[in-house]
Amino acid sequence: MRFPYGNAPLALLLVALLAGAGLLMAGWTRPPRPDLVLALFSKEHQHMYTPLVERFEREEGVRVELQLFDNRALQSRLQAAMLAGAEVPDLVEICAPGMGYFCKGPIADVGFVDLTQRIADERIDRLMVPSRFALNSSRGHVFALPHDVHPVGLVYRVDLCEQAGIDPAKLLTWDDFVREGRRIAVDKDGDGVPDRYMIDLPADGDWGVQTLMLQRGDDLFDGAGDVTFDTPSMADLLVWYVHQTRGPQRIGFAAGWGQALNKAMQEGIALFYLAPDWRTYQFQENVPGLAGKLRVMPLPAWTPGGRRTSTWGGTGLAITRASRHQELAWKLAHRLYLQTDGIGDRFLHSNILPPIRTAWTLPEVQRPNPFYGDQRIGALYAGLAPEVPANHVNPYTDLAQAKLNQACIAVGAAFDAGAGDLRAVAGRELKLAADYVRTVMDRNKFMRDAESPATGDQRPASFGQPRTGSP
Amino acid sequence: MSAARRLTPLLLLSPYLVLTLVFFIVPLFDAAGLAFYQTNGPRSQAWVGLGNFLFVLGDPDFHQALKNTAIFTLSSLCIQLPLSLGLAMMLAEGKGRIVGWLRLILFSPNLVGQVFVGVMFSVLFMPRFGVVNVGLQALAGWGLEQRWLGDPALVMPAIVMASLWMYVGFNMVYFLAALQGVDKTLVEAARLDGAGPWQVFLHVVLPAIKPVTVFVVLTSTIGSFQLFELPFTLLQGNGPDNAGLTIVGYLYQTAFNAGDLGTGAAVGWILAFIIFIVGLVQIRLTRDRVSG
Repeated sequence: MRFPYGNAPLALLLVALLAGAGLLMAGWTRPPRPDLVLALFSKEHQHMYTPLVERFEREEGVRVELQLFDNRALQSRLQAAMLAGAEVPDLVEICAPGMGYFCKGPIADVGFVDLTQRIADERIDRLMVPSRFALNSSRGHVFALPHDVHPVGLVYRVDLCEQAGIDPAKLLTWDDFVREGRRIAVDKDGDGVPDRYMIDLPADGDWGVQTLMLQRGDDLFDGAGDVTFDTPSMADLLVWYVHQTRGPQRIGFAAGWGQALNKAMQEGIALFYLAPDWRTYQFQENVPGLAGKLRVMPLPAWTPGGRRTSTWGGTGLAITRASRHQELAWKLAHRLYLQTDGIGDRFLHSNILPPIRTAWTLPEVQRPNPFYGDQRIGALYAGLAPEVPANHVNPYTDLAQAKLNQACIAVGAAFDAGAGDLRAVAGRELKLAADYVRTVMDRNKFMRDAESPATGDQRPASFGQPRTGSP
Repeated sequence: MSAARRLTPLLLLSPYLVLTLVFFIVPLFDAAGLAFYQTNGPRSQAWVGLGNFLFVLGDPDFHQALKNTAIFTLSSLCIQLPLSLGLAMMLAEGKGRIVGWLRLILFSPNLVGQVFVGVMFSVLFMPRFGVVNVGLQALAGWGLEQRWLGDPALVMPAIVMASLWMYVGFNMVYFLAALQGVDKTLVEAARLDGAGPWQVFLHVVLPAIKPVTVFVVLTSTIGSFQLFELPFTLLQGNGPDNAGLTIVGYLYQTAFNAGDLGTGAAVGWILAFIIFIVGLVQIRLTRDRVSG
């Protein structure tokens, strides 16, 4: 029998049928879903969790699968899956400020298990730095366990500081820092640009402004989710910032990321780098040639005796509401985040200070780090950790960050144009930016109409309130 | 014709028709409805009427995105297409193996995709170490610390440069094919009648390649309005002061970053309307000229 439309369409039809059958077979032969699926965005975390998870599997007699994704892919796929009611992992590590995206609607619609009561019942908040819950909370409800503290210090080139006659121990305030910076950021070779800069800072604000903002005790939002970045203190910060990153007297150089940053560090273009604990490990990995030439110090304070740290980034472990094994998932979360066995090893492979305070005295955390000239950087960060400010997130954090950057750029443009009253410009731009965010937030019917208090006693609602000093 | 023979083509087409129905027609109508709602997942939907459209049309960020997209589109039409045509004319005149190699070299950037080009140019544009700035400093004694991707005034030129590298060769191939189809006897006749090179180009070559030119202008315009991946990867976002924010970037930001699918759908419809109008105007203009 001949195919009536010729051999070519027949061949195409057969190929299509075979491919379709193959895909169907692949779907049928897929192994059954494990008891727990943990989705991660960090290869390092996967590496560190693997032995712990294997032990957990043996002890509990269950099967756990670790799935690694790119952070952006994890965020958008999870968001889409939750919106569509599709299959989701049981546990997810969320990178800040990602939790905000999932808290756009009523608390009852958040796709993660509300951990507020569990944390209160088990007194987990007392084991950790309380401010860290802010990154994973919405309207007083905690949806993830904090993985880290991420205190920020300054990493500096000790060899170049010695050459330049800078004593980092004497850089107690940002005024001291800028004074020394002005001295060294000069053009000696006559190519029109300074040969060396004091610090790596992005000119458009971005993480530079945000880190310094948090250090000053300001934030994009408060614990209630209201916009708070149009304050006089923030105007002062923007004016200060543009003076350090623009014009002939600038001390800041935007070294960027990746290869550009590595090269800038190697060539000593900038002497100081804002460095949360996780970044010290990146430096260790990416610029091994600088072994022994780097040290870490606390941030200079804004006022004498003031806070000498900030925070940058953060991860939280959340349990999805769709998980069929929520208790088992909570058990695994305990194993990974709350038990000190394995945490020391994790620190060695990441330099990330764990959020449990009892872990800060572990020998691995306290040991000298050869890359940083045998400095005990774990101890240094542990010393800063209690002072780490809260960093509140909500669904509009990205928007607020973008608008803050726009305000910073506008102030920078006014500075370049020689505007007289920069502080007034900064105040105006910040007000514009903050009002825009408020307008967008006001459009959200679901969040506006569904404010709800935390369940159980009200203590957990204060996890995210800013605190300074020892808890 | 038997019923079986009549139904066979439909049967063969059915996979395509089903897929189009499921992944294009249904979402299209769904998006039309969605644009009038505010959503937070399937469980939470609230009717907002024209609220999403009114918000988008009054949003300064959307105005910025529209402006950036329009600038990019104009750059594509006014810089990229003349360059493509110029290169095509040079290659059309040339002979030998070198022409084939040049054609391949000029076309090949298009094979790598916008994401690759974005990542590559982000390295080329690095301040202090990037090839562009090092070259500027060496040639002009200036530009070592120019922040192509950090200075709002330089972001769009950077995007245009990257897109030129990528698309000039692609459009050149269309023009080259069209030029090779131009009747040589007409060109010779015009020259014998005393026409100069410019007159030959204007009155003989250009009318002859007009259908291809209209096609290239139209596809370039539509492509430019859909710009997203290149600035997104080049700038790792929208760039400073939203200088690299395009309409599709705004759609992505609204629908997927902010999770407001209703407003995202409204942006999609506004974009479709803009492209439709621009395309219609272009077709009308070129048709008028032909008939005039």
